[in-house]
Amino acid sequence: MAHAALLHWSPLLSLPSSTSRRPARSRRRGVVSLRPMASSTAQQQQAPAPAPPGLKEGIAGFYDESSGMWENIWGDHMHHGFYDSGEAASMADHRRAQIRMIEEALAFAAVPDDPEKKPKTIVDVGCGIGGSSRYLANKYGAQCKGITLSPVQAERGNALAAAQGLSDKVSLQVADALEQPFADGQFDLVWSMESGEHMPDKRKFVTELARVTAPGGTIIIVTWCHRNLEPSETSLKPDELNLLKRICDAFYLPDWCSPSDYVNIAQSLSLEDIKTADWSENVAPFWPAVIKSALTWKGLTSLLTTGWKTVRGAMVMPLMIQGYRKGLIKFAIITCRKPGAA
Amino acid sequence: MRLLTHNMLASNVRGATTGYPLKLEASNWCTKEVELNADFIRGLLPKIDWRALVATTRALGLPDLLPDEQPPEEEIFAKGAADVEGSAIRRIHHALLEIHVQQGSLTCPDTNRSFPIDKGIPNMMLHEDEV
Repeated sequence: MAHAALLHWSPLLSLPSSTSRRPARSRRRGVVSLRPMASSTAQQQQAPAPAPPGLKEGIAGFYDESSGMWENIWGDHMHHGFYDSGEAASMADHRRAQIRMIEEALAFAAVPDDPEKKPKTIVDVGCGIGGSSRYLANKYGAQCKGITLSPVQAERGNALAAAQGLSDKVSLQVADALEQPFADGQFDLVWSMESGEHMPDKRKFVTELARVTAPGGTIIIVTWCHRNLEPSETSLKPDELNLLKRICDAFYLPDWCSPSDYVNIAQSLSLEDIKTADWSENVAPFWPAVIKSALTWKGLTSLLTTGWKTVRGAMVMPLMIQGYRKGLIKFAIITCRKPGAA
Repeated sequence: MRLLTHNMLASNVRGATTGYPLKLEASNWCTKEVELNADFIRGLLPKIDWRALVATTRALGLPDLLPDEQPPEEEIFAKGAADVEGSAIRRIHHALLEIHVQQGSLTCPDTNRSFPIDKGIPNMMLHEDEV
């Protein structure tokens, strides 16, 4: 049954030729062409691409449907855990690793801890059910706003905040990360934990992050990327594009970019202290653990009660492992600071 | 949606100059008591647009909750003020954190675009043609 379902969903789209630009309007509903962003050496200015039709609805629907199941098995953090290289990890370790991921990201960005300089206002961009929002609000005693496309997640996250006595500090709303409903410079800490993958226009995404950052504030982006292109390359290889495409369709992801692309965008926006690292080795145990959890009795019965979108997502998880193994998929952190006095 | 949240929300509709402050209309709101944390309010106050906050409390039918001008910080954070009924810090705390709008709408001052508030959650999503 699963096999037949895969055939049914397999999009009938040929790979774009490397020399032509496919106009956004010709994209089929829900299916996206897969051109990685041009590397900086090619110096191409991409025209801002409208979100592929159905992408935002697809994302919202995917998370509306699958969020409860994920929370049931994994808890309120919907991101990778951080593990020591070569570490074998049990289920209990994974939750701890997810917390560690947050702390490692904060440390990497050198977010200050002291009462004077610590962040007072935080925005969690692509907040899921607010795991990071609540953690950061607690840690810094700060006001944290979260935005998500999924009304189900926003509601669930607000309920969790209320249950944890955090409703004065944390509030989630439904909004688009590419059109953040905030005036400029509101937030001391701008946090994007594994939401960048969903953004169809990486430049607009980072521009919005920078816009809402207060002078002297910190931006932290932790996201899936594809590998940096070699200087001689203008795109990934066809088999690589193929693999990413199958993942994209199932997870409602638009075109991927590389860590260098993010760095270049940050530089072009005159952001300072730009730092990036490849944490792919530190997340290696994660997908096998997710697959294992899906194959437990709880996992399987949960999958049966969710819906097709979730099952489809579950089925491409081995592709994520493949992608990492081939050095195609990278787990990257990119941090920087908005100029100006803190 | 608390008024603290409202104070930070702006409209991004194409054609809006500032899109701020959004005009609040609440068909259903309530209050929920929350412990007062003076340090938290101290950290927040510089980021609050006082005028927008006062206007919104008046829109909810609370004309006497807050004064037109923000009181000086020394008065707000005076020692023991948190224990005094009706003190500035208690009013600010009440306005920002204890009022919850469950149903209503937020209207962009420049374009009149209305964003719904449902079950306490504002939906700020724009349509394709508003971007």
